Amino acid sequence: MSANHSDAVVVTKGVTKEYSDHGIPVLAVRGIDLEIKTGEFTAIVGPSGSGKTTFLNLISGLDRVTEGKIWLNGKPLSEMSGRELSDFRRDNIGFIFQAYNLIPVLTVTENVEYIMLLQGLSAEERHRRVQTMLGELGLDGFEKRFPPQLSGGQQQRVAVARAIVAQPALVLADEPTANLDSQTAIELIDRMRYLNETHGVTFIFSTHDTKIMERAKRLIVLKDGRIDSDEVRE
Amino acid sequence: MITLKIAFRNIFRQKRRTFLTILTMFGGVTLCSFSIGWMDGSYNYIIDMFTRYQLGHIQIHRQGYIDRPSLYDTIDDYSVVASSIESAPGVTRTSPRLYAAGLVSVGDKSAVSRLIGIDSQLENAATLFDRKITSGRPFSRDASREAVIGVGLAKRLAAVVGDTIVVVSQGADGSIANDAYTVVGLISTGDPASDQMALYLELADAQELLVLDGRIHEIAVVADDLHGVRRLASLLQEGLADPGLVVEPWQVFARAFYDAMMADKAGGWVMLMVIVFVVAIGVLNTVLMSVLERTREYGLLRAVGTRPRQIFWLVIIEVCIMAAVSVALGCLAGWGLNYWLSIKGIPMPFEFSYGGMEFTHAFTEVNTRSFVIPIVVVILSAVVVSALPALRAARTAPAEAMRTR
Ligand SMILES: Nc1ncnc2c1ncn2[C@@H]1O[C@H](COP(=O)(O)OP(=O)(O)OP(=O)(O)O)[C@@H](O)[C@H]1O
Ligand SMILES: [Mg+2]
Repeated sequence: MSANHSDAVVVTKGVTKEYSDHGIPVLAVRGIDLEIKTGEFTAIVGPSGSGKTTFLNLISGLDRVTEGKIWLNGKPLSEMSGRELSDFRRDNIGFIFQAYNLIPVLTVTENVEYIMLLQGLSAEERHRRVQTMLGELGLDGFEKRFPPQLSGGQQQRVAVARAIVAQPALVLADEPTANLDSQTAIELIDRMRYLNETHGVTFIFSTHDTKIMERAKRLIVLKDGRIDSDEVRE
Repeated sequence: MITLKIAFRNIFRQKRRTFLTILTMFGGVTLCSFSIGWMDGSYNYIIDMFTRYQLGHIQIHRQGYIDRPSLYDTIDDYSVVASSIESAPGVTRTSPRLYAAGLVSVGDKSAVSRLIGIDSQLENAATLFDRKITSGRPFSRDASREAVIGVGLAKRLAAVVGDTIVVVSQGADGSIANDAYTVVGLISTGDPASDQMALYLELADAQELLVLDGRIHEIAVVADDLHGVRRLASLLQEGLADPGLVVEPWQVFARAFYDAMMADKAGGWVMLMVIVFVVAIGVLNTVLMSVLERTREYGLLRAVGTRPRQIFWLVIIEVCIMAAVSVALGCLAGWGLNYWLSIKGIPMPFEFSYGGMEFTHAFTEVNTRSFVIPIVVVILSAVVVSALPALRAARTAPAEAMRTR
């Protein structure tokens, strides 16, 4: 089946997630069918509790589905063991969270090169990529700083660098701008969009901010765990 | 590599907590080391006193004598044996002894006693025999027909210094042995059971009485150092020409005393267990606190593809680094304390004398055990106790940890 979607990074079929809240079942995601193609810049929006975070966690392999199936780069996530899933995330998915993205005891450089260290890339290659990445995100001169010595916007930029430096198939960002002021938020999303356009990095991000949504090329609205609307813009 | 870096830097994050953790383990190691040094030191001191100034560290007998003492199981050419023993490295002195049972009487009182023939000059030098005399005097230089009796025996016989004591026994040739001696001194060896029975004669007098010319039953050997006694004993055994003679260290010939000492020593392990328990609780507390605080970091690390095993080791390595520092410092402190007090001694709450020796101080000891045991015990308990929080960290569910709600 994945063969039919050669340019699809993500394919989901009837994805459902049920949580149990003190014994009471909560359906956070109810049967989502979706396809995300390489090079997309997609925003997932919707009211609080609509299932954005849950859905992003499912397609990134941070969480397991209750029902349905997810293919990432043609590989079914549900058939992977915990260990395989962990390695798969390392090699295929970049993560940007709302906060706490960085290891506080590692410098900017060390945070950015962390995944490449896990992958066992050579020091030379790591150095080259880190330099390029920091340059692109306007972080030159911050290499030796520790996260607590950076502003919120700078920290999120480092997170973006960390997320894309290992050249993943997909970058997932759950409300990456929620902790930033609107000016800094727009700057960050513009940098992401720039990387999407110049390097073809595939982004899926969630947001509440209408100004941020406007920057997306595709807008998916969730409501009660279902897709309410899905429009391609521009 | 990167795990090591994170672990190392994590140590400096909560300096206060790290300090307390290190202090706990350091205290544990130091206390553990000191209590072992103290325990070993004081026991070995008692053992050394009792063996060095009483029994001898090593004894040589004819085969079977220890189990069933017989008048006839003698060491015949003892001066040859003794001189060969004395030339061995590690031997301080030797002293020959001869034993027999006899009936002794003073006036109209009689008692069964143990006749002990000693060469008073050698015995004085080896076990400070003369210093244990409580009234009267030791044997004179060319003593003849002099006797020294245990204070217990003196009481049984109502004997005082200057009394004449009559001894009746059996000679080796089957004849009735009897003779009279003058009590010149009373002795308190520190072993009341022995003092109840003991009647000391000069070796020559005893040999004449028992018709055992030139023969003895026992050679007591005093060694330079209590620690090498077992090895020294087997060395001496190898050097003996007569295969009928057995050389035994105090652990063998004074089995009951040895067992009592060991049983007593076992009580010291309770102290050790208490220390380990306190250290374990302290370490568990701080490690658990760190792990709970860092849930988000572990979640992030898991999300970006760190394997659970790496996170487990991240926690353990951090503990190990702190343990290494604590153990290094603790061993240094423990060594210093044990070394200092092995020379200076710890004043006893009350002084007492025993077998002619004044006990005023207890001494610690520096030995391998006092390092190895605390190192192993503290590191092991720290790691074992940290395994639980480490496992918890390794199992962090990334989706849960990164949720901002
Ligand atoms: N671990 C959980 N246990 C129980 N219920 C959960 C759990 N996680 C999420 N839910 C529930 O699932 C639903 C979807 O939550 P989710 O966090 O995905 O929404 P969201 O769209 O990301 O909301 P927000 O915009 O506030 O971040 C909510 O009703 C939430 O309460
Ligand atoms: Mg959310």
